[in-house]
Amino acid sequence: MKKPENLLYGVNEIPPHSVTLLNAAQHVGVIAINLVYPLLIFRLAGVSTDAVIALLALGMAILGLATFLQSAPRGPVGSGYLCPSTFTATYMAPSLLAVKMGGLPLVFGMTMFAGLIESLLARALHRLRAFVPVELSGLVILLIGMTAALVGVRTLLGGSTQAPSGAEWTVAVLTLGVTIFLNIWGRGFARMLCALIGMAVGYIASAGFGLFPPADLDRLAEAPWIALPTLMHVSWSFDASLATAFAVAALAAAMKAVGTLTICQRTNDAAWVRPDSASNSKGVIADGLGSILSGLLGGVGINTGTPSVGLAAATGVASRRVGYAVGAVFLALALTPKVAAVLALMPRPVMGAALVFAACFILINGLQVITSRLLDSRRTLTIGLGLIAGVTVEVIPTIAAGSPAWFKPLIGSSLVFGTLAALALNLLFRIGVRQTVEMSLRADAHDAPKVEEFLRRNGARWGARPDIVNRAVFGAGQLIEAVIEHGHATGDLELQARFDEFDFDLRLSYQGSALEMPERRPSTQEIRDTDAGSMRLAGFLLRRNADRVRVEHQGPRVSIWFHFDH
Amino acid sequence: MDMVATQWHEFPAIEVRGRIDSSTASDLQERLCALVRGGQAGLIVDLSQVAYLSSAGFRALLVAAKAGEDGGCHLALCGLNGEVRRLFTIGGFDEVFLIQSSREDCALQLRARLAAAPPQ
Repeated sequence: MKKPENLLYGVNEIPPHSVTLLNAAQHVGVIAINLVYPLLIFRLAGVSTDAVIALLALGMAILGLATFLQSAPRGPVGSGYLCPSTFTATYMAPSLLAVKMGGLPLVFGMTMFAGLIESLLARALHRLRAFVPVELSGLVILLIGMTAALVGVRTLLGGSTQAPSGAEWTVAVLTLGVTIFLNIWGRGFARMLCALIGMAVGYIASAGFGLFPPADLDRLAEAPWIALPTLMHVSWSFDASLATAFAVAALAAAMKAVGTLTICQRTNDAAWVRPDSASNSKGVIADGLGSILSGLLGGVGINTGTPSVGLAAATGVASRRVGYAVGAVFLALALTPKVAAVLALMPRPVMGAALVFAACFILINGLQVITSRLLDSRRTLTIGLGLIAGVTVEVIPTIAAGSPAWFKPLIGSSLVFGTLAALALNLLFRIGVRQTVEMSLRADAHDAPKVEEFLRRNGARWGARPDIVNRAVFGAGQLIEAVIEHGHATGDLELQARFDEFDFDLRLSYQGSALEMPERRPSTQEIRDTDAGSMRLAGFLLRRNADRVRVEHQGPRVSIWFHFDH
Repeated sequence: MDMVATQWHEFPAIEVRGRIDSSTASDLQERLCALVRGGQAGLIVDLSQVAYLSSAGFRALLVAAKAGEDGGCHLALCGLNGEVRRLFTIGGFDEVFLIQSSREDCALQLRARLAAAPPQ
């Protein structure tokens, strides 16, 4: 691991106490916003304010314990990185179904089930890549963002029965306006904690407009400063018909955890080349165990917090010790019911504005992930139809009413239905896609654009990354040009390309002699003044362009093989 | 491959478009060498429209840069995008040539070099 220049404290380094505590406080501020997710579910369950306060205190204990688990540097659980846990929009869709079907006990029981599934997926995730390609992960993120946005807007509008008052509109616009203003034009702490500051402004405005019911204010006054969290409001149940919905969310959580942990690895290592699958696997297990713990203690699903990882990169403090401090602060807050009571009273427009703000970033992240791959018509249809399936569930919710009972949980959530539709289409459209393709070329009539078109067309069919396809296009073009130009090849050349999600391989075979591919670049004088120098430059560029190079001789034929990690 | 010759302030500039490979590199080399030998103190080469560059293209640029050096004409490159920039980096050519992001920056750098070492 090579420490990047802009990183002040790497994962294994120990910053001074003041730096540790200040950074931990910032992380807690960023993560605390997501307590809005369990709060929303608790309110929908219709439990008393006292129960909400008790459950939110437990929620903070869950975040503390899960962050400790994720920070563990040794053993089979935990990535060892500063990657605090947070409540997540990922589980919102199935949790909304569960709360309607069986109240909070079903939410807690199914959250434990989802955590178990995520932990079990940890080791298989690598192998599932062909069935869950990157653009499909992007669709899942997009659908999660859509759910969060719609829940935010519905919370703001109060559903179909309770239209917002003028005061509520004012609070919503103020909360969202302050958050957006600080996010765009703010600097330093103000920008990092923009959502938290926006919510605080929303609370103050709500107090000014008298939006807090007097009974709730009495509860806040009565809440003790220090008390042990209680499990008296926690019980569990299980419903097999919701298993698929929670399993899909668990898969999404596992994929997101891998993405977040990969950012941690890149933040800490300037020489980063590819994800550390051992660390990712242990991190996903910790993430799953965190959700099991959450269900057990009366919370909704948790996940690695991407904004926290971004914060570590921005401040240059990525020390694991900050993770321990974040865990300790949350455990301390769990002993302070007064803080939980403040959160429990969150006015409806403040909650709606916070959800809408967070949803913007989730939605755009999903779109970026989808468009990070070349998409041919099969993949365009997979993502397009999956998105349409998800949107249909939201726009025409009555569609679930006429379906059989076992099918209702699958069609009752845009995330679940959209993801399942895309997974099925991805499997269907794999029919007829060859993973190995070949083309023949004549040494006396090299058609470079034709080779490029061949590689780009198949790259799009496979959903390969554009940067890898660019490298393959250069590799094939430069190699063919060099072996023809310098008289290495006679007769026909055979170009073969192969793809399997992890690898992009190119092989050119021809009759003749091999091209020299030196480790060091020839001098500029050698390149300018001799044909041999120019030829050796071609070989040098080809060696540097690929992740691995191999030359094989079979009788009079030579095969040059380039491997690109995908 | 196409080449479009223009003027950028006091310096001649040439915009290269398309693929620079073994079939086009000799044309580029000839054109660049003719320009740097034309008595100018600097030449700006805009590569922003280049889609592909192979070893033959690098050789053409190196030959032209040497011809310019011998004749007192500095060569400045600009507009290296995505894949072309990556190839300059993996080939270690980002330290061999004078590379700037825009024609304007090329002109500034050429002026600075001329001020530091005026032509004899």
